[in-house]
Amino acid sequence: MKIDPITLLFASIFTSNILLANFLGMCSYISISKDLKSSNGLGMAVTFVMTVTTVVNWFVYHYVIVPLKIEYLRYIIFIVVIAAVVQILEMVIDRISPSLYITLGIFLPLITVNCAILGVTLFMQLRDYSVVQSLFYGLGSGLGWWLAIVLLAAIRKKIDNAPAPAGLKGTGLTFITIGIMAMAFIGFSGMIRVQ
Amino acid sequence: MSPEFIEAQKNMKPGVISSVGFLGDDERDLAQIIQEDELLMSQLQLDFDEVARWMERIMDEAVKGLGEPMIVEGKWEVQIYEARGFIPCPFKDGIFRKRVALVRNLQNNAKISFSDLSIHLLKKHHFLQGRGSPFRIEPEQLKKLLD
Amino acid sequence: MRVLVEPLIVSLISFLLALIIVIVDAVVNNYGEVKITINKKKTMTVKGGVPLLFTLASQGVFIPSACGGRGSCGVCKVKVLSDVGPYLPTEFAYISKEQMKENVRLSCQVKVKKDIEIEIPEELLYAKKFQAVVEKINNVTYDIKELTLKLIEPKTIDFRAGQYVQLSIPPYGKINEVTQRAYSISSPPSENEHIQLLIRLVPGGAATTYVHNYMKEGEKVQFTGPFGEFYVRETNAVMICVAGGSGMAPLRSLIIDLYQKNVEREIWYFFGARAMKDLFYVDFFMELEKKWKNFHFIPALSSPDPQDEWNGEIGLITDVLDKYLKSKIDLSKPKEGYLCGSPGMINACVQVMKNNGIAEEKIYFDKFA
Repeated sequence: MKIDPITLLFASIFTSNILLANFLGMCSYISISKDLKSSNGLGMAVTFVMTVTTVVNWFVYHYVIVPLKIEYLRYIIFIVVIAAVVQILEMVIDRISPSLYITLGIFLPLITVNCAILGVTLFMQLRDYSVVQSLFYGLGSGLGWWLAIVLLAAIRKKIDNAPAPAGLKGTGLTFITIGIMAMAFIGFSGMIRVQ
Repeated sequence: MSPEFIEAQKNMKPGVISSVGFLGDDERDLAQIIQEDELLMSQLQLDFDEVARWMERIMDEAVKGLGEPMIVEGKWEVQIYEARGFIPCPFKDGIFRKRVALVRNLQNNAKISFSDLSIHLLKKHHFLQGRGSPFRIEPEQLKKLLD
Repeated sequence: MRVLVEPLIVSLISFLLALIIVIVDAVVNNYGEVKITINKKKTMTVKGGVPLLFTLASQGVFIPSACGGRGSCGVCKVKVLSDVGPYLPTEFAYISKEQMKENVRLSCQVKVKKDIEIEIPEELLYAKKFQAVVEKINNVTYDIKELTLKLIEPKTIDFRAGQYVQLSIPPYGKINEVTQRAYSISSPPSENEHIQLLIRLVPGGAATTYVHNYMKEGEKVQFTGPFGEFYVRETNAVMICVAGGSGMAPLRSLIIDLYQKNVEREIWYFFGARAMKDLFYVDFFMELEKKWKNFHFIPALSSPDPQDEWNGEIGLITDVLDKYLKSKIDLSKPKEGYLCGSPGMINACVQVMKNNGIAEEKIYFDKFA
């Protein structure tokens, strides 16, 4: 693909936001966006994992999987790499900031099965990006995910006290909000495509 | 259920905080119990905050009896039992003294018992405990008691 | 062949990654050896990375805890003078704002990652872990049992009358973990090869249910102690002691100890209960009253049953206490208060004592509740 890395970075944050355009990475998005501080923490963690795993998986794909002709095993291998990276991240977070570790709770190990992470790796492989493109794509998608969760957390904080009908309060209203945000971001799609 | 509820439900099992636990032999999960009790309370036109305020008032009056039953506001006979130590809330947002109030309506003999922790669970979490728990506050009973 | 080779390759990749994780773990989670300084005098060098509560326990310093370090009771508070990072979400529920100003932390949540200085009540440094056997279980009333524990290891215990121990209750019934609860010692310090505890059945109580329904004579138990700052102050003031129910325990220890040491002080012991069936040790204390002229025993029932045929004082213990302080006890002598019972009863008695001229600093009660 000929798209230049900087454009790729910009595009993956705004115009093809992994969350709002591709709807990947929803579950922790909806749960953690209740609180702005933990959203920030989780956003940082996801960005880190996405960037690192996309690049590492690029190397694994091009130097291990392809030469050994085991493309059909790529899903397993990608997931194993992602799990290892998340495990290491967990240990580092526990050491540096135990309070963030406890706040994120179950959602830290859940990053492993966050479909956005695997999704970004697979897109990278499908679209045959170079290593530099992969780096910027991973970083951009992570930043985009972080942006989306912080935006949602801020909105949720504001509408928390709104007199919504009991059935819609909380999760229901959140879904509607995400839908409206996604529609707003579609407005960007005319600008640049990330393909 | 959200992670906070999953954790709280784990803490409500027998032996974790209290020996009998908070769920009795209720098969429903925590979120369901709370939802259905909220429905029951609103059907009986009982407001959680008002009930909590009443409970706090009753306790404050009845402690003066030092373990003796007392007549409070001319309508209820209340006896306070106290054990030493503290008990934490299963939602991990506070610890409470172990005071239990046994309340009996003088006219219709309806009885209910609640503790400092019960009042907090009712007020903050709308949680009345599972069916079968010795400390469950059944909305129907509550209505009869308050009348 | 390929069918064998390829899973092998996947396993190899996984193995390599696992190796990397192990190496990172050893580096990141290795805090090395750290030094803990207690009360500015005692130091210990330990392996870092473990919560303070367990680190101290491994070195023989036992901080009382009711939940065994799971972060659900709030009892294991310790003052930490060094910086160990911000308060964790798990600590917020149990630490008040005043305690936060004094750097009080939950020792089961704070990991020891570097050299730290802590402050703990002095007597915790002398508390030990004891193995004992249940020698006798006596029913003193319908809901109070007297436990006699014979010490196995260490063989003797050194404590001040009025102190308590933390009894470990093993898993039973639906409870899968060890629980710990505090009980005051009711036997005097002179009997140092065994201790006696008074345990009242609390409905739904984890420990009391075990003692009343499951514990057997001959069973082995563990406890740590002694703890507590409730003891007799060595002055000549008149001692006004008030207790109810199992609150009798530390006061019994105190009173017998004073008798054995021939202390020349005027002692008044007010024991409040509802009816005859809640009274116990009455004969013992009445005998003591006959033998010891300094000692006065005043049991009071608040609602005696008609068949009790009670001739003693009737009324709430606070009212009886007030009556005696105003009319039967020498108004000119200085007095000290020693209380044990539920927080409600203690608050009410403190009020009565203050109204009768006993300064609040001279009223002592067991604060472990």
